[in-house]
Amino acid sequence: MLELRPILSALWRHKISALLIAVQLGLTLAIVGNATVVIQERMDTIARPTGVAVEDIVTANFMPIPKDYDRMEAFRLDLDMMRQLPGVVAATVSRAPLAGGGSSAGFHTKPNQEIGATNSATFRVDEHFIDALGMRLVAGRNFTANEIREIGRESTWQPDTTVITQQLADKLFAGGEALGKSIYYGGGDHPMEIVGIVERNLGPWPNSPIAGNSIFLPMIMDTQWFDYIIRAEPGQRDAVAKLLQEKLAERDPRRVVDVKTLEEQLNRSYAGDNTMITVLSGVVGLLTFIVALGIVGLTVFWITQRQKQIGVRRALGATRTAISRYFLLENLLIAASGIAIGVAAAQIFNHFLASEFDQPALPLSTTLTCALILLGVSLAAALVPALRAANISPATATRSV
Amino acid sequence: MFGYYISLALRSLRGTPILSALMVAAIAVGVGASMTTLTLNYMMSRNALADKDDVLYALQLDSWDPHEARNNPSEMPWQITYKDATSLLRSDIPTHQVAMHRWGGPVNRDDSEMRPYTAEARVTSRDFFTLFDVPFTYGGTWSSEADNNPVYQIVLSQETNEKLFNGENSVGRTVNFNGTPFRVVGVIEHWQPSPKVHDLNNGDFLESAEVFIPFGLHRSLEIYPWGNTNGWLTEDIDSYEGYLGSEYVWVQYWVQLDSKEQLERYRDYLTGFIREQKQQGRFPRPLKFGLSKPSEWLVLNEVVDDDARMLNWLSLSFLLVCLVNAVALLLAKFLRKAPEAGVRRALGASRKAVFSQHLVESGCIGLAGGLAGILLTMAGLTLIRHLAMGYMDRVASMDWLMMLSAIGLAILSSLLAGLYPAWRISRTNPSIYLKTQ
Amino acid sequence: MLKMQNIRKSYRTDTIETHALRDFSLEVNEGEFVSVTGPSGSGKTTFLNIAGLLETPTGGQYLLDNEDIGNLNDRDRSRLRNEKIGFIFQGFNLIPDLNLFDNVDVPLRYRGFNGKERKKRIEKALEQVGLAARAKHLPAQLSGGQQQRVAIARALAGEPRFLLADEPTGNLDSLMARQVMELLEFINEWGTTIIMVTHDPDLARRAHRNIQIVDGQVADLQQGAAERAQTATA
Repeated sequence: MLELRPILSALWRHKISALLIAVQLGLTLAIVGNATVVIQERMDTIARPTGVAVEDIVTANFMPIPKDYDRMEAFRLDLDMMRQLPGVVAATVSRAPLAGGGSSAGFHTKPNQEIGATNSATFRVDEHFIDALGMRLVAGRNFTANEIREIGRESTWQPDTTVITQQLADKLFAGGEALGKSIYYGGGDHPMEIVGIVERNLGPWPNSPIAGNSIFLPMIMDTQWFDYIIRAEPGQRDAVAKLLQEKLAERDPRRVVDVKTLEEQLNRSYAGDNTMITVLSGVVGLLTFIVALGIVGLTVFWITQRQKQIGVRRALGATRTAISRYFLLENLLIAASGIAIGVAAAQIFNHFLASEFDQPALPLSTTLTCALILLGVSLAAALVPALRAANISPATATRSV
Repeated sequence: MFGYYISLALRSLRGTPILSALMVAAIAVGVGASMTTLTLNYMMSRNALADKDDVLYALQLDSWDPHEARNNPSEMPWQITYKDATSLLRSDIPTHQVAMHRWGGPVNRDDSEMRPYTAEARVTSRDFFTLFDVPFTYGGTWSSEADNNPVYQIVLSQETNEKLFNGENSVGRTVNFNGTPFRVVGVIEHWQPSPKVHDLNNGDFLESAEVFIPFGLHRSLEIYPWGNTNGWLTEDIDSYEGYLGSEYVWVQYWVQLDSKEQLERYRDYLTGFIREQKQQGRFPRPLKFGLSKPSEWLVLNEVVDDDARMLNWLSLSFLLVCLVNAVALLLAKFLRKAPEAGVRRALGASRKAVFSQHLVESGCIGLAGGLAGILLTMAGLTLIRHLAMGYMDRVASMDWLMMLSAIGLAILSSLLAGLYPAWRISRTNPSIYLKTQ
Repeated sequence: MLKMQNIRKSYRTDTIETHALRDFSLEVNEGEFVSVTGPSGSGKTTFLNIAGLLETPTGGQYLLDNEDIGNLNDRDRSRLRNEKIGFIFQGFNLIPDLNLFDNVDVPLRYRGFNGKERKKRIEKALEQVGLAARAKHLPAQLSGGQQQRVAIARALAGEPRFLLADEPTGNLDSLMARQVMELLEFINEWGTTIIMVTHDPDLARRAHRNIQIVDGQVADLQQGAAERAQTATA
């Protein structure tokens, strides 16, 4: 550590340049730290289990061309036809989850309540829904075929039974057993008994605060807002999608048919998050790269400037290692002070983002991890010029200008 | 002298190609990142109704739940109920007023082999076209009775007319929409405001409607709106009539009020209207309504979302880092040439001359960085269009103004970055560089 | 032409203050060829920097052509340097990136001549030092003596009345040194006042007058040489 003093005094002579590098590293740390925490949050969002067999599901719907069209009849015929198709495991008529369209309502555990409802997405389903969505029943039972009721667009009928997600069960009956209990629409007194609990279903809006609260009601409604949900055998999805497009149009050509994979719709729902992840990762990568370039540029410059000095040192007996070590140590000093600035700047920046944009708080561990990585990048950037400096010939000392 | 400085700058940049490329790259990347997000924010915050910003108002009525306000920044539902819309349409105070919502369905022609396709529709009262200044290529809007009675008339967008009739004058022809024949009364010119300030409930940057039909068709066609329907009251609805009379909000409402006096009268009218409704047991919340100018409406609806604004801040910080980087590199580069500056000083260059020479050099780097930055911005926007899967197609594109801004930003940045290094080199004592070491 | 009275120059660092010049007075007349000698660190270079308006004295008065330099700002001093003073350095100080033509062009650019005028002057100056044929060469392609001749051409191009030379032959072998010295004497004969700092007593003797600086002060004013200069200009 004998070298520390000469390094410090040399740095003092280049204080502006050293400061600029330090500030650069500091700002970079502030940006990278905050970007990382946002990336992490979005990745966690996307990585949440959906509760359904996203990769195997195809959804389809149609728009009738004639004005008076018997939609209920079409549901029956289409479902019968689709269930016979090769590669199809199960099919139901409901609404596609995760795709951004659906309905929600507030529910209570007691009748005639008006305030304090728990909001939940609602799905109208038939008895094939668990199988068609590839969900897992964790308690109770599925609906039976004779529980399913066909209703018109404007019907006040409410079912006697319901299946809900585990998450909603925990919310409605905190700590208690939900199975067998009844729930009510806001202001209503018709009990709907919870007969089954499925493990998970993120519902129509994966980015909404109520994502995961889902209720399934045993009914088929005569509405244009429906989707067939068809689960294909693993690996058969695309073939099934193609076949469906063909067969649905063939069974009744008087309609416009639209077939999509659930995966594509989920990707669409997450498009905003994916954009943020990619853009922020790009920012982090480019920024680190630019800072590294800056360090390389400046180290090279300093070394060129001190070429003669290095030659003299070598002539006076300094080893190559000593020369490299000198420059690396110098870089370490700058980087360390830059990162000290950066840790503080990261917190300030995060405070701003958190208050202005509702972004997650930046844990110190993330900042420190990023700091360590940046320190590594900084040293790596200085390494090549530092090693080159060690190759400067001692003869440089005796050469005149 | 400027020409001389430029030629010196180019010579100097050629002399240190790697360092120069590094600096140009740093500026280009910084400008590319910030222009990408600035362009997004700029395009997102455009106001297609800026010309009529002083006279148009988006209307909100607080008919919501007595127990809690509607969960959005305005604390009122964005849309109003059908029954309120039809009542308000009867007022003669506004110069123009529009009740409307999104719908859609298959379109085709009987006399054509063309496959039916699903078209986005706008169900609207007839003032839509005058209120929003939508120009017609052929024909015009439907008659005023169509706002209250079933009149099967349709206005096509330019694109739809292109698809269905190859762009011919189709006024008087028949189009099937949702299984019902409609007579074409007008074809509008290309009209795709982005963001869709008139309809901020259904994808702010997506395409506008492909066909327009009158507001008087609800009962005969049993129209259920596409887009959001929100309710707070549990009602026993057992018919379409019950749906129309319910507390569900699904109608967007705009008024044109040309004078202050008109605005005041309309405010009084709305206050009276709500009071009247309160007597009938509706509007349980404190009396409140909203009249927002288009510019206010865009802000209230948070069209420029948090992600876009956050990216803006991040990329401006990014540019700052690139600037600091450029300052460091420029300083290194200029100091390396300090002996030359010393000679120039000895030969009669004033400090100002040396300063200008180096600032011009920084500016040249900025210009190169700006040009490269435009390419990077275009690449960035393409990436975002791709990532957003269609949601950003109308937003993630550059116009001339933004291209010029990119160059301006780059030159400004590099001049800023060059300020200190150029000052520093102009202040160095020439005599120390003139002595032989 | 040049008149210094009680010039003082001190450099201050954090810890010590060094006096490079103390109570330094000197007068140089139009057309004189003055050599300045003295031991290392005596203040020769400081004197030259002050005389050449590269540095400002800490105290005292400096008149150049009866103009008090102390009152001038950087712009005016730069203009004076450009118009009246030519520099020749031991290290030549040519700009390595520029060819001979462009090197000679530098002071003319700052003078604000138009392109035609500059071209005429550059060609004439290069002609005078015998390097017109090499105008497009870079300094690195020339020998030391040739480089110094380019530096002289650069100094002459602006037709200064006053030439400051700092060890102009210090980096040259004796043959080249003699050529450069002859060039300087030739220029002096045409009326340019020259002050030359040198270590070499032989060269010093060839000047009209020799000044010795010791410890920041003029040590020995050779009256005889001054009289000789008077008669030479008369």
